[in-house]
Amino acid sequence: MARMKREEWYNIARDVDWTRSYVDEEAVFPEWLSGSGKVPREAWKNWDEPYKCAYSDYVATQREKEGSVYAVKAALQRSNIFESLDEGWKSTAKAHFGAVSLSEYLAVLAEQRMGRFGLSPAWRNMAVFGALDEIRHTQMDLYLAHEFVARDPQFDWALKAYHTNNWAIIAARALFDGMMLAPNAADIAIQLPFTLETGFTNLQFVALAANALDSGDISFANMISSTQTDEARHAQQGGPTLEILMQHDPKRAQWTIDKMFWLSARLFSILTGPGMDYYTPLEHRKQSYKEFMEEWIVAEFLRLIEDYGLKKPWYWEEFIAGLDTWHHSLHLGLWFWRRTVWWKPQAGASKAERAWLQEKYPHWEEQWGPIWDTLIQNINADNMAGTLPETLPWLCNLCHLPIGTAASPHNPKYPVRSYPLTHNGYTYHFCSRPCRQIWWEDKDMVHQKTVIERLLSGEIQPPDIDGILAWMGLTPEVMGDDAYKYRWAEEYREPVAEGGTHA
Amino acid sequence: MPDPQTIPINAKFDDDFITQLVLVLDTDTMREVATKVAHHVVGKRLPKRDADMVVRYQGRSLSPDITVAEAGITAQQNVYVGWAEKGMMP
Repeated sequence: MARMKREEWYNIARDVDWTRSYVDEEAVFPEWLSGSGKVPREAWKNWDEPYKCAYSDYVATQREKEGSVYAVKAALQRSNIFESLDEGWKSTAKAHFGAVSLSEYLAVLAEQRMGRFGLSPAWRNMAVFGALDEIRHTQMDLYLAHEFVARDPQFDWALKAYHTNNWAIIAARALFDGMMLAPNAADIAIQLPFTLETGFTNLQFVALAANALDSGDISFANMISSTQTDEARHAQQGGPTLEILMQHDPKRAQWTIDKMFWLSARLFSILTGPGMDYYTPLEHRKQSYKEFMEEWIVAEFLRLIEDYGLKKPWYWEEFIAGLDTWHHSLHLGLWFWRRTVWWKPQAGASKAERAWLQEKYPHWEEQWGPIWDTLIQNINADNMAGTLPETLPWLCNLCHLPIGTAASPHNPKYPVRSYPLTHNGYTYHFCSRPCRQIWWEDKDMVHQKTVIERLLSGEIQPPDIDGILAWMGLTPEVMGDDAYKYRWAEEYREPVAEGGTHA
Repeated sequence: MPDPQTIPINAKFDDDFITQLVLVLDTDTMREVATKVAHHVVGKRLPKRDADMVVRYQGRSLSPDITVAEAGITAQQNVYVGWAEKGMMP
């Protein structure tokens, strides 16, 4: 039997719906899961995805992509590329695997919510493809990382991280729970495909692919480039949803994007910033994190939201200023609290690297130089205790990142300080005014206890650094240390004077 | 006399890059509070200095001899510590 041409059936098949006569519409699409809000149900009939895709096309394309990723991996598995990779780059890969692998799985659940409770059949179809995409991403990440587990147990955190109470993972879970798991289908479409996937995944998947290639990690580059081709397709669920929201409830659209953009920016400044500006070997760095953000995120995202009639988020000036500071403070924190992470933070503070940082960020030396100088003196005096913590940084009640890392030292406009809020007799602390405002407006959706709160409530025993590390799931063979065993600090040693003492 | 109570404070030392958890006692004087906060910062992330320290709470510089309880510092409040000659920071 001759097959019909796609164009003869696609426009009917993509949007098949029917009127239910045996059950209420509200029972099939409950408001708390579908999230129509002020949008009349009829309006969702206009949902029109810009990228048309039939299941047969989807399978054929995905099969080809899968074949390519696994062929490259199989070819390189027999090589000794792993041994030749720079330790700093490996740390970028480990941080990515731990933070991203199972967040891809959370995205499966989010896509499935849209696939079941999205208010248009065309949207539900697209979301099914999205769910299949995200399953593929989870599998690829876990499969690629698994190959290295026997050689380096830190790669095991690709699977393990989300099952622990590691502080960085609590931060990631808090964001992704509020973005992907807790909301209704309409809010998911604005927060995940529109804000995160359209706005930010370029950062992790395009910038990192380039750095991976330059660092010689072809398998990793191939994997994340393949991932991004899926993201570019299923991210398009955001546009049609936003278009409908803008017609009926623009205030909700603006708020949903504003809050999720801020929180995504905070998380990516720790997920991607240190990798680009500190872990990637100097000779392989093409753009700084700030330059990449300005080109790929700031300009693109502003153009996109303005096309839909949205305004710049209210905190825009603070976000732009943060491109100069946030990830430097977060990197310093990651290095100082290095035993709390599942990779080996590369300090990135050699003289040549500091010159690069100063060129890219003209206030770098003034703001972070004195702290690195003190740490370097301790390293060179063999005072390693002086480079390790005995307490924890206070963590933001919204983004769960250390308070002070949405600011910088010697910065009168955004100083290192907490923004507290007392509510029902309890004082919450925030890294910034936007985090405080978002928590206040949406605390029912986004609140989770911080590690500090868990420590003070007695959940962590014994309540000391070793007890905290154990509670976070960090075992001695996994907990982080300096990527280069502190050799980078040797060039700062003062010359030895005659007689054998340091000058 | 009741046992001293532990008070967790959210402490910042001037010129440091974060605020952090420091445990003090309600019987600690501000001199002792300053020393406890500085322990986590001075000589680790900031150079040592031969200078007095001052504790600031709710915008006021506190006398080195008053205690945490007398100053009204309660759990989870912001406390700022710095070198005595330095100007006010937030």
